[in-house]
Amino acid sequence: MEKDAMQCPRCGKTMNHHADKMIHWAPDVCGEVVEFHSCPNCGAAASRKAQA
Amino acid sequence: MARLVATEVAKRAGVETDLIDISTMPLPTNDAGEAIKDKSFASMMDRADGLVIVAPEYNHGYSGLLKHVLDSCLKEYIHKAVGIVGVSAGPFGGTRMIENLLPVMRELGLVTIFWDVNFSNVQNAFDAKGALVDTLFLQRIDKFLAELVWMATTLRYGREHVKL
Repeated sequence: MEKDAMQCPRCGKTMNHHADKMIHWAPDVCGEVVEFHSCPNCGAAASRKAQA
Repeated sequence: MARLVATEVAKRAGVETDLIDISTMPLPTNDAGEAIKDKSFASMMDRADGLVIVAPEYNHGYSGLLKHVLDSCLKEYIHKAVGIVGVSAGPFGGTRMIENLLPVMRELGLVTIFWDVNFSNVQNAFDAKGALVDTLFLQRIDKFLAELVWMATTLRYGREHVKL
């Protein structure tokens, strides 16, 4: 099981981590990698800063 | 053109669709990006598995308004499918607009399909009664939508079940 799996904010099931993407939030920020998760139960999406 | 394409999308079994006219969205112009996110639009992007962008070509490119709207979301687009329909008054049917928009799609995390639809000389596309003059476009739209639905379905499965 993935370390610190995300739980769906809508139904509570374990979400699937399907993408890591570099996001440039602002012109003066180099950017950070964000994890994207999707729920196999209800289809909800969520994201968080990538864990080390 | 957008209404025509939306009508064709709505005919497909198992597909729900909404037509969004971005000219009616009340977005400010003194800021950009996710700072100006519109709740209703973001909610629809979040719910969607795929997008059809029907857009005109302005000066060999896409409109600033389209970019402004697209930039208001980001996480809602990741690993979702997009197909682009170009519209022009001239002979090229928005081809240059589509080619310019593809890198933007990539950076937004959207996955493009290899079918386009190009409506050239759009001022002559419909007759006086509002009917499409060249009905061969419907076949092209059908191919386009078949590929888009396939990609949207595949990506949804991927988002929900295929681990990175």
